[in-house]
Amino acid sequence: MESREEAIYNKSLAAMALVGFLSFLLLSIYRKPVDFLPFYGALAFLTVVFIGYFFTGWVIANSDKFLLLISSFLAQLGLIMLCRINLELFKRQVMFFGVGVAFFILVSFFTKYLLKLKIAPFFYWGATVVLLILPLLFGVEKGGAKNWLVFGGFTFQPSELAKVTFAFYLAGALKNGRITSFPRMIAEILAVVGLLTLSKDLGGAMLFYFTALIVIFVATSRIDLFAVGGGLFAALGVLGYNLFDHVKVRIEAWLNPWQDVPGRGYQIAQSLFAIAEGGYFGTGLGLGRPDFIPAVATDFIFSAFAEEFGFLGAAAVVLMYFLLVYRGIRIALRLRENFEILLAVGHTVMFGMQIFTIIGGVIKLIPMTGVTLPFMSYGGSSLVMSFASLGVLNGLWQRALEDEDDDEA
Amino acid sequence: MYELLAQVLKFLLIGLIYYFLYNFLKLMVLDLYEERRSPDETGYCLRCEDGREFPIRRVTTIGRAKDSDIVIDDPYLSSKHAMIYRRGRRLIIQDLKSTNGTYINGRRIKKPVALKEKDVITMGSRKFTFLRREDRGVERGSDL
Repeated sequence: MESREEAIYNKSLAAMALVGFLSFLLLSIYRKPVDFLPFYGALAFLTVVFIGYFFTGWVIANSDKFLLLISSFLAQLGLIMLCRINLELFKRQVMFFGVGVAFFILVSFFTKYLLKLKIAPFFYWGATVVLLILPLLFGVEKGGAKNWLVFGGFTFQPSELAKVTFAFYLAGALKNGRITSFPRMIAEILAVVGLLTLSKDLGGAMLFYFTALIVIFVATSRIDLFAVGGGLFAALGVLGYNLFDHVKVRIEAWLNPWQDVPGRGYQIAQSLFAIAEGGYFGTGLGLGRPDFIPAVATDFIFSAFAEEFGFLGAAAVVLMYFLLVYRGIRIALRLRENFEILLAVGHTVMFGMQIFTIIGGVIKLIPMTGVTLPFMSYGGSSLVMSFASLGVLNGLWQRALEDEDDDEA
Repeated sequence: MYELLAQVLKFLLIGLIYYFLYNFLKLMVLDLYEERRSPDETGYCLRCEDGREFPIRRVTTIGRAKDSDIVIDDPYLSSKHAMIYRRGRRLIIQDLKSTNGTYINGRRIKKPVALKEKDVITMGSRKFTFLRREDRGVERGSDL
């Protein structure tokens, strides 16, 4: 069985390398004069993938290759689009990818030690809050949300790291399968969500809120709490709609983008035009017009991808994200300690919610909120922290296998 | 020239993307197949004093009731006496609030307990030994 899996992994790795070579060679002749920079970038990228793939197999005996391969493939598709949109961003993203894979290996290696420390959930909550307050005090504003920190030419988005600490907090607080102190839990979660709302990161607020809700449901299996939480969300949504102008703008642009195409509805209308232009097979790499879509390198990379790779390409991406989430759930099912199960569920749900929020946003299924598409969007913090999350999942997978070996002995 | 190349390549690229996806879906199916196949046989059994062996499945109930997995006709046993179930790769025994209780190595259990090889389980007047089944038995089991 092992060797059969190995063979499948190797075949996928070959397919991935082939996709990379073909598209980056094509992109090298896309601009006049011919510039082989995309090709060299692809070589660097694939080198990192191969080193990461074989190195993790060597350092960590039972590393989950599935996670690394599928995330690298998604990162590669993102890089293809970035390279086509903006070479400068492409160069930086290849570098971030290298850092991300390094983080993946480090975190998967150190997770078991972190689990042994048994840090109280309150500290994780404290860390989350500090991470979210920092940008409010010293941060700079980018694209409507004030959630960036600047250290001498290098910007960092602490809310990405807060996702990891928040998952740790939830797992720790709920590890006994019930809520020890109800008012305290609500206050702690609402404080985190409130801080995100203050920095105008509505997508982030929604993400954290639903992750908390789902992890609580998994831990306590109480559907009533889930229903109350959903109701509360609807109430908060209505309140936000009436209180904050930017919420109102977002929701109106979602309900009817055609009312004000040059203004409020511009982003979403352009995104829909691009997706429609793609059809089933897409316009072909380099033949679409993604430059019309605002924020195409970050929030709207999925629309650009759907335009040039068509509905089939976009559906493949959605399926790949589905497989990633499936793998996370599988890891959670194999674990035994409550804390570890909830940690795996927390990270997986965070991924799933984020993917749903942004893809749903760009195809006008739900109101558009500015979260990044993990692995595909341009953004160092997002990419590196997504890999760190996967590292935690990989570390938990080691734990699951360790437990099973203990029982065998 | 570029346009023609891009048009041709777009089909190739989508084909390759789906080939990649197909491989991963296959992995998932392999995974699920493995999950479904292994559970029924745990590779362990309970050996009765008279030498009979009862294989242990993922969930095995023991009692006087006819629908138990291991039916033991003994007046000292409750109709639903105890249950052995798999968690991860451990087998856990749980007493189902039986009248006369379940004993592991002479000690009465109240909470679910993980079984170790060669544990002696006493229920009513019967004694069972928890054993790993011989390879022959496992093979025969997996053929079914």
